[in-house]
Amino acid sequence: MGAVPLPVSMSKNMGLWSQVKKVLGGVYKSYTFRVTIQGFLTLWVVTTCTFYMIRKMPNNPIQVKIEEFQTKQNLPYEEARAKVAGLYDYDPDAPFIEQYMDYMGDLAHGNLGKSITTGRTPVSQQITKYLPWTLFAVGMGLLISFVMGVLAGAAMAYWRGSVFDNVMTAFASISYGIPDFVIAFMILLIGGIQLEIFKVGDYIGGVDPQLKAGFNPDYIQSLFKHALLPVTTYVLASVGGWMLTMKSSTISTLGEDYITVAHARGLSQRRILFGYVGRNAMLPLMTRLAISVGFILSGSIIIETIFIYPGLGKYLFEMIGRRDYTTIQGIFLVTSAAVVVSNILADLLFGVLDPRVRVGGK
Amino acid sequence: MAGQDVVLSVQDLSIDYLTRRGRLQAVSHVSFDLHRGETLALIGESGCGKSTLNFGLMRLLPKTARTEAGKIVYTDRQNRSINILELNPRALRRFRWSECAMVFQGAQNSLNPVIHVRDMIFDTARAHGMNNRNEVRQRALELFRKVRLDPDRVFNAYPHELSGGMRQRVLIALGLLLNPQVVIFDEPTTALDILTQRSILNVLRDLKEELGFSSIFISHDLAVAAEIADTVATMYAGEIVEMGPVNDIFYEPRHAYTLGLMEASPRLSVGREELEGIPGSPPDLVEPPTGCKFHIRCPLAIESCKTTPPQLERVGAGHIVACYKSNEVLEKGKALRALPATHLS
Repeated sequence: MGAVPLPVSMSKNMGLWSQVKKVLGGVYKSYTFRVTIQGFLTLWVVTTCTFYMIRKMPNNPIQVKIEEFQTKQNLPYEEARAKVAGLYDYDPDAPFIEQYMDYMGDLAHGNLGKSITTGRTPVSQQITKYLPWTLFAVGMGLLISFVMGVLAGAAMAYWRGSVFDNVMTAFASISYGIPDFVIAFMILLIGGIQLEIFKVGDYIGGVDPQLKAGFNPDYIQSLFKHALLPVTTYVLASVGGWMLTMKSSTISTLGEDYITVAHARGLSQRRILFGYVGRNAMLPLMTRLAISVGFILSGSIIIETIFIYPGLGKYLFEMIGRRDYTTIQGIFLVTSAAVVVSNILADLLFGVLDPRVRVGGK
Repeated sequence: MAGQDVVLSVQDLSIDYLTRRGRLQAVSHVSFDLHRGETLALIGESGCGKSTLNFGLMRLLPKTARTEAGKIVYTDRQNRSINILELNPRALRRFRWSECAMVFQGAQNSLNPVIHVRDMIFDTARAHGMNNRNEVRQRALELFRKVRLDPDRVFNAYPHELSGGMRQRVLIALGLLLNPQVVIFDEPTTALDILTQRSILNVLRDLKEELGFSSIFISHDLAVAAEIADTVATMYAGEIVEMGPVNDIFYEPRHAYTLGLMEASPRLSVGREELEGIPGSPPDLVEPPTGCKFHIRCPLAIESCKTTPPQLERVGAGHIVACYKSNEVLEKGKALRALPATHLS
């Protein structure tokens, strides 16, 4: 190969450029940087899409309120419209691109904007008001569901073919197949109304309104009591999925050679079950868990609405009804951010649990 | 019962699998003695029951297997006889690996992929009451050195960071960790390329000389068996049909099946076109053929082969065979060997 002669100045430039390229390449190759960029891109796409799509839904916040005044207060259209115009600080006729740029500008400053329909309260304030309820109820539901599902699934695989396995598999399939709102209604109708096991009125809502909020046993007990129905529904609706996934994952792990070898090595049953079977069988479930953790934030819209539980899901449902664009966007953004972040955490956690997929070699 | 130096004595062992179609007789009426320091090679084609036999020796069979008859008597270092089939779960767990270890085929899947090699070593040691981690570590490093691995690197590695040959060596080292009297090698070189095979075999031979354990070596590769074994047993359809000292088996085979295996394996001095396969395929073990199970595929079969199963008979020092035509087989083998330069190397 003949060397191509380069002008001295150019080769110097090339040296500098390749230095820069090396540094940039190094930065890009760094896992944290790549993941962060990808996360922000995802959020931007989600924000833009929701921004566009919710405005393409029929009606807008003004129109919804006008119709409400018309039907509830029997006002003529013009009068209702004038009333709403004084109430809301939102112009539905502003050009889409202008609204978009305004919103993105606010976001860049970390500002989620103000709610359109609830007296201009900041969206972030609304979210922090409803989020704890959702975190409490759905978080608890997910935790119970995951733990129970994993334990039951592993046991089903271990005693596969037994009566226990058959009964549990049937239960899991039913749980997996019935939607959560059907379970919610069945609990209310059968348990609350037909059999009158409990009084529906005692259990719906977030907490007994007569109690003073605080760190006292009565209040805490009431919190758990009111979370009971939503949590039960959530667990019943989701535990089947965990059970079935864990069962199939455990069965394939039990068939691995290294399990036979572990038996041959004379390891104790306990060490094999927890250190070799359980841990390896749970790996495929971690991604799913991460996504579920992310979605805790959006709550369980239907369950919360049915049980009138004051979480983010029920609030989102109401705001969609009112076409409160800024609030809807805010909740969607926070939810997607949670999903993105928990996925990144899952990737890192996965690396800890499974050295084969560890990023960056170490 | 056999002499003083017998470590493992298998007596009339039969193992069945329960299948949808009925009982599958994977191992039937197998008997052999394994002496101290001896290497017994079990040869035979796939599905002849070699692996079932060995899993049976450590009671590692799946739930569908039934050990129908027989005894497996192990003699420990204090000269106590233990019938493995009667051990309770606790005693069985202790017996495994510390008295009898096993090196499996397919080393890639034999190590737990998500934990360090060192943790597998510590797990094994702890399960047998060796809690001094430093001592265990020293022992493991020494064994890694013996199997020609870079001890510190391997000790702290994950299985996926090692090559196939390295993993096989790790398994061998792991097998010797508790200094067992018997090591079962289940086709330890099958999944490896020829050069790696070579070095693994060298390692094994050196280790055997140094540590003096007895071993059962399963293989379908006659060359490997010839090289490593003191005694060779040919298995066909769940039975040992011929067993004897390695030279007798390879130079003076007495069973038509053993001879068939010899003819079917390549030798340096014989052209490829002269290799002869054994016609047909292994018999159905749910409904095994009457008489000698090999008679359907046997070129020398006579009428009595079809009706009455031949019994194992002594034909030489330590050489037994179950074949009515063992003399004809011997002649045929000699005739083959008389061809110019067709010796087994």
